Amino acid sequence: MLKKLLAACAAITISTSTLVTADTLDEVVNRGTLRCAVVLDFPPIGFWNERNEPAGFDVEYCKDLANSLNVKVELIPATWSERLPLIVTRRADVVIGSTSDSLERAQTVGFTIPYAVFVSQAIVHKDSGIETFEDMKGKTVAAGLGTVQEQWYEAYANEWGSDWKYQGYQSENEVFLAVQQGRVAAGMTGNIVAGPIARQYSNIELGPVLPFTADYVSMAAPRKDVSWLNYLNLFIHQQVRTGRYQELWEEFVGGEAPDLRTPGVYY
Amino acid sequence: MDYNFHWQPVFRRLPELLLAALDTLQVAVLAIILGIILGLLLAVLKMNATGKLKPLNWFARSWIELARNTPVLLQLFFFGFGLGALGLHLSPFMIVLAALTFNCAGYLAENFRGGLQSIPETQLRAARSLGMSAPKAYYYILFPQVLRNVWHPLTNQIVWAVLMSSLGMLVGYQELAGSAQYFASRTYRIFEYFAVVAVIYYILVKLILALSRLVAWRIFRGQGGV
Amino acid sequence: MEMFSALRPQDLWFLAEAAGKTLWISTLAISSGTLLGILFGWVLSVSGRLGSMTLGAVLDVFRSIPLIIQLVLFYNLFPIIGIPLDPFTAGTIVLSIYTLSLVSNVVRSGIESVSQDLRRASRSLGMSYWQDMRHIVWPVGLRAVFPAWVGVALSVLKDSALVSVLGYVELLRASQILITRTQEPLIIMAIVGLFYFFLSYPIARAASMVEKRWQQ
Repeated sequence: MLKKLLAACAAITISTSTLVTADTLDEVVNRGTLRCAVVLDFPPIGFWNERNEPAGFDVEYCKDLANSLNVKVELIPATWSERLPLIVTRRADVVIGSTSDSLERAQTVGFTIPYAVFVSQAIVHKDSGIETFEDMKGKTVAAGLGTVQEQWYEAYANEWGSDWKYQGYQSENEVFLAVQQGRVAAGMTGNIVAGPIARQYSNIELGPVLPFTADYVSMAAPRKDVSWLNYLNLFIHQQVRTGRYQELWEEFVGGEAPDLRTPGVYY
Repeated sequence: MDYNFHWQPVFRRLPELLLAALDTLQVAVLAIILGIILGLLLAVLKMNATGKLKPLNWFARSWIELARNTPVLLQLFFFGFGLGALGLHLSPFMIVLAALTFNCAGYLAENFRGGLQSIPETQLRAARSLGMSAPKAYYYILFPQVLRNVWHPLTNQIVWAVLMSSLGMLVGYQELAGSAQYFASRTYRIFEYFAVVAVIYYILVKLILALSRLVAWRIFRGQGGV
Repeated sequence: MEMFSALRPQDLWFLAEAAGKTLWISTLAISSGTLLGILFGWVLSVSGRLGSMTLGAVLDVFRSIPLIIQLVLFYNLFPIIGIPLDPFTAGTIVLSIYTLSLVSNVVRSGIESVSQDLRRASRSLGMSYWQDMRHIVWPVGLRAVFPAWVGVALSVLKDSALVSVLGYVELLRASQILITRTQEPLIIMAIVGLFYFFLSYPIARAASMVEKRWQQ
């Protein structure tokens, strides 16, 4: 009898506690706006168009997500290093900002399944003479502050010994500008960004593909909010299933959208 | 409150942060020294608008007004990507040093001009008539008085240079704020890092003010308060 | 789809709008900071040693920490304590407190600059404390500290550029957006520099004219 009573009490406390703690999904629906953080100096994934409005693949994903919830979208432009603090301090509901799903980061925020995948590639100044990754040894190399490229490069460079010069910039755009002006020999970024950048500037050439692992990028959301992460996972799944993923990829990047599955392993 | 503070990683980085504080001091002190030299030059040029000095006078006025009427952050970006567009590449350290020097020189020039103008010309003439050479008269009569007049604004300018050198983090210079930001970009704990860094800046400023008072007490002793 | 595009005439309007935002956030910060600064400065001047050890010490903290650190700290602190603020509100609050800390110092020195003899004389003529403050301390002190106050106001106007680090699209952030799109740093920086110059320089000139008139 006592056991049953205790169990009932426990059941009540559990159910009431789940009742009072609304998850982000509830908050968004009640608020009527989705606060979606994006990085807008990463064309064609996120950029400012000629009317000085946010545009790009990630921006469309924010809008689609808001549509699926039937709420308005509030875009929060962020730099690379601001992305995760925005989630930690709850100023954004979700970051759709090409965030690589590293284990180090997963200790701070929660990640969805990957929604896109990149390959890390360098862009180089035309006079730099860089053709392979090894050529970058001893030259000044730039990346965005707080990117995985920065962290992966540092690991490689530490193996090279003291013979490396690195320059971290606040935004991806400053990395492009630094390469274009010749302040640095090479910049590290994603392959789909490298292409348009190299076409845009006469001073910039497509550099070597970097020997880093494939860059699976996920949406980031509050770590403990599993129900919200579940919703986001389903959203990513539906984007692929409905063909919207391919459609947006064609519009902004061009060609076949990459397979989001990792061969040989369950997610 | 749904936030757990992580202080331990910050304290582990404390030695590196303190070393970075030395970089902050270094760039600020260098900027002040260069700023004093250039500021004096600008002040003298601004006060002399005759004959051959006319173009230089115009140059000094432009420098002073530009330095005082645009944000130092914009000046910093100019010395970075602005000059870069012209093919002139400064290292992050040089960008911060150049911008702070440019700015300090503009502000100090006006302080020095005020300090110089507050001393009656008759004093200099009296000194000369007593047989002092011009440099001697400047050194013994003018300089001590100007120094006393500008001591307080000069101290403020040094404090200001230390505080504004924190903008180095926006152009990739890893001084105190820049290092904190770099470390924080790994652990994503900006608040904790910046809170600790704020305390370090506070201590730096208090040390500078104490030192300034001590020096002032030593050199202006018997001349009344500053 | 155009990811990069050249500078267009409309972009000048974009910058002008952003300059309006710079002016707006500075005006808010300067006016609220000045009003509170006068109040706090007066409190500091009458509360003696105890006041300067408590209130004075707290205000001093805001003058001894870089503004950019204050902005980032408070912007991150507000949501931690449960009140998430947008960049504009957070920026305005921090800029106001910063202005307040500077103005209170100026005001206190202004009140203290009015000689005790003058004030004793006014009181002995039968003026009340508030009459003395209104007719003696205010006009005399104002003239003494007016240049310093203008200096504070102008520095806040320019320092409002730092709110850009919170993502608020004022003049400086707008220029960064345009640089991202057009990759023309030099010309955009020059234009933005002119915008700031024409916001700040007329105020500086007007203030020095007022000062000269008072000296006559």
